[in-house]
Amino acid sequence: MSENTDIGAWRDPTPPSSKLRWLFLCVSVCLLALLLVSHILAVRFLSEMRSQELAAARTLAERTRALSGLGLSIQSYDQAVQQFVALTAADRDAEARRRLDQLTLEIDADFDHYPSVRDSEEDELLNGMRGVFSQQRTLYITILAARPAERRRQAESILAEHLVPVQKQILDWSGKLQAWNGERLQHADRARVTLFANLQESLSRVLAIGFGSGLLLVLGSMAYIVRLDRQTRARYIELARSRHALQQLSARLVDAQETERRAISRELHDEVGQSLGALLVDIGRLSTALSGERPEVKEQVDSLKSVAERTFQSVRNIALLLRPSMLDDLGLAAALEWQGREVSRRSEIEVSVESESVPEDMPDEYKISIYRLVQEALNNAVRHSGARNAKVVVERLSESIMVRVTDDGRGFDPRRSRGMGILGMEERVKRLGGTLRVESQPGKGATVTVDLPIPAGGDA
Amino acid sequence: MKKTSVLLADDHTLIRAGLRRVVDAEPDLTVVGEANDGREAVAMAGNLKPDVVVMDIGMPSLNGIEASRQIRAALPDTQVVMLSMHSDEGYVLRALKAGAKAYLLKDSAEADLARAIRAAAAGKSFFSPAVGQVLLQDYMRRLERTGGEDSYELLTPREREILQLVAEGKSSKEIANLLNLSVYTVETHRARLMQKLNLRSVPEVILYAVRKGIIS
Repeated sequence: MSENTDIGAWRDPTPPSSKLRWLFLCVSVCLLALLLVSHILAVRFLSEMRSQELAAARTLAERTRALSGLGLSIQSYDQAVQQFVALTAADRDAEARRRLDQLTLEIDADFDHYPSVRDSEEDELLNGMRGVFSQQRTLYITILAARPAERRRQAESILAEHLVPVQKQILDWSGKLQAWNGERLQHADRARVTLFANLQESLSRVLAIGFGSGLLLVLGSMAYIVRLDRQTRARYIELARSRHALQQLSARLVDAQETERRAISRELHDEVGQSLGALLVDIGRLSTALSGERPEVKEQVDSLKSVAERTFQSVRNIALLLRPSMLDDLGLAAALEWQGREVSRRSEIEVSVESESVPEDMPDEYKISIYRLVQEALNNAVRHSGARNAKVVVERLSESIMVRVTDDGRGFDPRRSRGMGILGMEERVKRLGGTLRVESQPGKGATVTVDLPIPAGGDA
Repeated sequence: MKKTSVLLADDHTLIRAGLRRVVDAEPDLTVVGEANDGREAVAMAGNLKPDVVVMDIGMPSLNGIEASRQIRAALPDTQVVMLSMHSDEGYVLRALKAGAKAYLLKDSAEADLARAIRAAAAGKSFFSPAVGQVLLQDYMRRLERTGGEDSYELLTPREREILQLVAEGKSSKEIANLLNLSVYTVETHRARLMQKLNLRSVPEVILYAVRKGIIS
């Protein structure tokens, strides 16, 4: 008989924790952080370099522009001075002076406009140039102070002796400044190239580290995955095997149980029952023979007879419980009807049985399984449902045999309570390749439906 | 007077011996043979043509029900007394359907066997008192629980009379003679009462009557 013990005592075991996966996670996060940080640094560095390059180009352009402006102004001034020196007409003297003054102012302005951000070397060059220019101007002022006639007379020599060398000097200074500017640009370029090389080097180092550790991580993960995979496979196979073994075991248990029950029942029925039956017949005859004479002995014999009768009844009931003899004597339909009446007799539930279309040529395994399924379902109904009525339907469908037990009891939630009774039923059904369905809702009764494939050939 | 010949069929020698002693003790009964299983019972009945076969319901190779069916089909004059451990209606009904006239429980076989054999030989039904009780209890309980009304109340007095006679094993013709009616009228009453009681065959009528205590 099945126990209706819930398997609630079972707790899922906690699987062993793996530290390795945390290690992998940490390494992955570190690697990603490294890549991210070096990316940000490289981008910032590159943009800084770009802005430096732009600044350097701008500086050069500014200086070149200022220097060429200065050169032009000085050239104009020189021309003006030459004209003035060579000039004959005294009436135009004032105009020429005015023009020279104006040009002087312009040159001063040009000097002032030269970019103010300078280092000492540049300052020195610029000041040198300025010094030469002021020397030139002092020279011109001396020339200008002379009278035009004298000027004209001395023009050639003044130009050749003083002006030309000064002009040359100015040009030299200007050239030097220009060259210095160019040098500085080159210098900045070289510095940038060095920096860029450094960046490249550190980037490739970071990449090498990243690649190396990434490779290690991948290899490690692969090894880990392969190991896990192998473990999973092994466990799956193990699980399938033990499930199979368990099923076989329970099948054997059910078989052994039925065989045992049958043997004990037969033994009880054939040996104990029949001996008691014979005893009863003889005691009965004895009692009849004793009537009339010796009533006190007859009384004893009668009490003996009633003891024998009670024993006979209980032996019969035990034998029936173990193995319903109507299953062998009358077939499945009759046994199911008897079962229904038995339950009706000893419980509050009135059971109706519809089993007319049950084929009787089924193998014994099928008959006993269907019988036990119905027995278990009715037992459950009696014990738990508080139902008033139950209905058993066993029907042969086109491709299966359907067994359905319905009650109008209080019902239950089949997802929650699944007792050993139902487990045992499932085991029986599974063995025959069938399916079992339990449908119930609290307050709405319960239905157990079993579908069994039609057995290939009857041997019973 | 000719003695009633009896064939005993039971697979247990002890029981058979006990039954034999009971039968032999009766002056009007005689045991003509003993069979060890259903198949042997059918074969021996064919040879001996006994008046009554006393048959255990559960026997190896061919059970008592099937053996009764075969014997009744082959020998309409041979009656069957069924011996059983069970008072359940499934057994009783199937025994009746197989053609048994009497149904005895083994624990009371000794007291009732002779009466049962005599009743069967005379074509009358006989049941152990305990059987009638169990059937009646089942019937009453079902009525009570399902709240159905007792269909016996729906029968007219004439129908009740005919019900009892049918249950006692009488044919329509015999009933017609007894009640001074035409066979046709009896058949009509019979069909109507079976319809009212939702009974489909004579065995069911007998069972119903036993249940109601109309016959025993």
